[in-house]
Amino acid sequence: MGKGAMRKFKNLYFWIGLFMTVIALAWAVLGFFWTPYSTTAMSAAEKFQAPSLRHLFGTDNFGRDIFSRVMKGAGTTVLVGTLVVLISGGLGILIGAMTGYFGGILDEFVMRFVDAVNGFPSILLALVMISILGSGRHNLILSLGIVFTPSFIRIVRSEFIRLRDADYISRARLMGVGKLRILFVHILPNIFSTFWVSVMIGFNNAILAESGMSYLGIGVLPPNASLGNMLSDAQGYLMRAPWYALAPGLTIVWIVLGFSLLSEGIRRNAGEVSGL
Amino acid sequence: MSKATAETIVRIEDLSVKFDVTQAVEHVNLEVAAGEIVGIVGESGSGKSVTALTLMGLVADSATMGTGRILFGDTVLQEAGKPRDKALYRRFQGEQMTMVFQEPMTSLNPTKKVGVQVEEMLLLHTELSKEERHQRVCDSFLSVGLKEPEKVFASYPHQLSGGMRQRAMIAMATILHPKLIVADEPTTALDVTIQNQIIELLREINQKEKNAMIFITHDLNLARRLCHRIAVMKDGQVVECGATEDVFADPKADYTRRLIEAVPSRMKPKVQVTVPEGVETGSAAAGDTEHRAERQKPVAVVEHLNVYYRDGGGFFSRKGKQKVVKDADFTIYRGEVLGLVGESGCGKSTLSKAILGMNKEIEGEIKHFSTRPQMIFQDPYSSLNPCKTVEWLLTEPLRAAGELDAAYKMSAADRKAQACDMLRKIGMDEKYLDRKPSQLSGGQRQRISIGQALITRPGLVIADEPVSALDVTLQAQIMELMRQLQDEMHMAYLFISHDINVVYQMSDRIMVMKDGQIVEQGKTEEIFQSPRNPYTQMLLRES
Repeated sequence: MGKGAMRKFKNLYFWIGLFMTVIALAWAVLGFFWTPYSTTAMSAAEKFQAPSLRHLFGTDNFGRDIFSRVMKGAGTTVLVGTLVVLISGGLGILIGAMTGYFGGILDEFVMRFVDAVNGFPSILLALVMISILGSGRHNLILSLGIVFTPSFIRIVRSEFIRLRDADYISRARLMGVGKLRILFVHILPNIFSTFWVSVMIGFNNAILAESGMSYLGIGVLPPNASLGNMLSDAQGYLMRAPWYALAPGLTIVWIVLGFSLLSEGIRRNAGEVSGL
Repeated sequence: MSKATAETIVRIEDLSVKFDVTQAVEHVNLEVAAGEIVGIVGESGSGKSVTALTLMGLVADSATMGTGRILFGDTVLQEAGKPRDKALYRRFQGEQMTMVFQEPMTSLNPTKKVGVQVEEMLLLHTELSKEERHQRVCDSFLSVGLKEPEKVFASYPHQLSGGMRQRAMIAMATILHPKLIVADEPTTALDVTIQNQIIELLREINQKEKNAMIFITHDLNLARRLCHRIAVMKDGQVVECGATEDVFADPKADYTRRLIEAVPSRMKPKVQVTVPEGVETGSAAAGDTEHRAERQKPVAVVEHLNVYYRDGGGFFSRKGKQKVVKDADFTIYRGEVLGLVGESGCGKSTLSKAILGMNKEIEGEIKHFSTRPQMIFQDPYSSLNPCKTVEWLLTEPLRAAGELDAAYKMSAADRKAQACDMLRKIGMDEKYLDRKPSQLSGGQRQRISIGQALITRPGLVIADEPVSALDVTLQAQIMELMRQLQDEMHMAYLFISHDINVVYQMSDRIMVMKDGQIVEQGKTEEIFQSPRNPYTQMLLRES
């Protein structure tokens, strides 16, 4: 049937995205428990070796195995991305739902604050927060989480404003359903497809931001590996050892692309179900 | 008949149109002569619009013509098996054949002045100078009854009323004096009084210009008043075609007969409750006296109620106040149906929201003698939470009521049992429990919507245009269902509609509302037989 073929074609996003994401995640999770070589053991004799069967992605300026470090670094990066999205998405839902549904003065204050925050580049804000909190992985997650919150507030708020006067919500009020239940049981499931897209975009941005911050030397500190600080180290040896930069760079591309495809696939499927 | 000798403008021969796998139109034959208005009548999805759009060459490219051909005069516009000749069509579209659409707000470009949009027709098809074009547009505005053509010319669509926009659309359609005008539900979005003016205008144009007109509608009464001949469509086929009065006087097809019967009308008896055998009807057997005493008790009393609408009103801006409902004063009694009629914008929805406590900007008093009155909305597509199942939709009101009131507390199993019970009452069954609203038809959704409102057994239900979004045959079913449920559960309805015939069929008493004021109220029969207010008289005359 024509329609079935259409659906399969749409789902191609989903399946390719899922495939890439699962491989990336499996690789990253494995990296927490096992890597072919130690990620910190240096060996002057083996520095700047080109990719070979012994060292799949070659070795870096300290003779460390890049394959192992990318495994470990991808894990760190994905973990940071996930936690950042959990923090900012959670805060975004809580605050956005309240301000969108109730409106009024609370809404005005929160939104003007959000506007003010949005006025600065997010990396700059995160930099400021880190210089206050001090660098390190936990502070990086916390500051990125807070910096990313306003965009989630906006999205959740606008969806709640759209739905708060829907006939079926008016009805729920007439039935005497409590306010919290209206917010989180009646309205929240209906914003899933929009929210999911922003979660996916947020996750990608968080990964890129973490890489960027670590690249600037204020995120994950050496000798711990993250994709960002590997890139940062690699820039000095771009000509001598191009594989050093390519390995973490392509890994970031792989993860971000996989997630983007997956989110697009999920969005299209959800759209089909809700008839959008 | 003189019409038989008139020149045939358009002939549709054995037309079949298919979208992907769905057959939209099957073997349709239709002929329209000069000076003739042919109505295509059918419910939504009957293929009437696809037929018209195919004729006009406007149907989506995904449609394929299976059989047949379309002739305009002697020219073959389209033939099965051949691709649509777009260049050929462009010679006819606009100049020889034009179309008037349903929604005048969306068929006019909101960012361009109305005059400029009409002028574009002349720009494309004639060689007139700028001044001549302006003059022609103003003349055509006058001819469709727009009194201040210069002002209309310079207005944007949103500055005109719905009726004026539709007149401007008709001016656009007639300015080049085409031989064929296709009007697709041109009055559906308009109020009754405006509707009549537009119908008169179309008739006038048809008589003056002697052109052919195809009038597409779901409303049999309208078709009867305007059309010389009608074709009744169902599931893509023409089930009956003939002179209008013949079809109405002696319908040949079963479907036509059902359609005519379903139309709400004052000529017919009111909606009767047919009680299925073996169903207990509560206290009906207990005697009429008890029933009558019940009916003396009010469920809601509204005294000197003013309702305001606030516009604007952000954090920094002052709020403006507008009085929408003025001095409403009435009582709704137990177990009755109180009808509320009025045109759009008269304040009837605002009044109903105020009664339900959804509008706080009020003066005066509303006293309720029942708990938690419920509401049935017009649009069954937006009044059910789209991501919940039918089971959830029907049990949620019970859960909410149980939380507020110990008397309603029950276990999850009991709630489910009640939901099943309600499903049977509204003519559905358990197999729908797991469905989501998107998997139900419009009529089924409205049934669930009614079930959701009634499951907590409220004393008062406000139904705001509950059948206006439904096809006629469904309308009759839903109205009967509402009556039947009332007989079983004895709640009162405040039944709101713009259609005085629908209200007549449902109501024991009627209130007529105009510009926020209740201008007349009384027993249904009394009002219909001897309306006192001039507005009521006009409403009755017009419909």
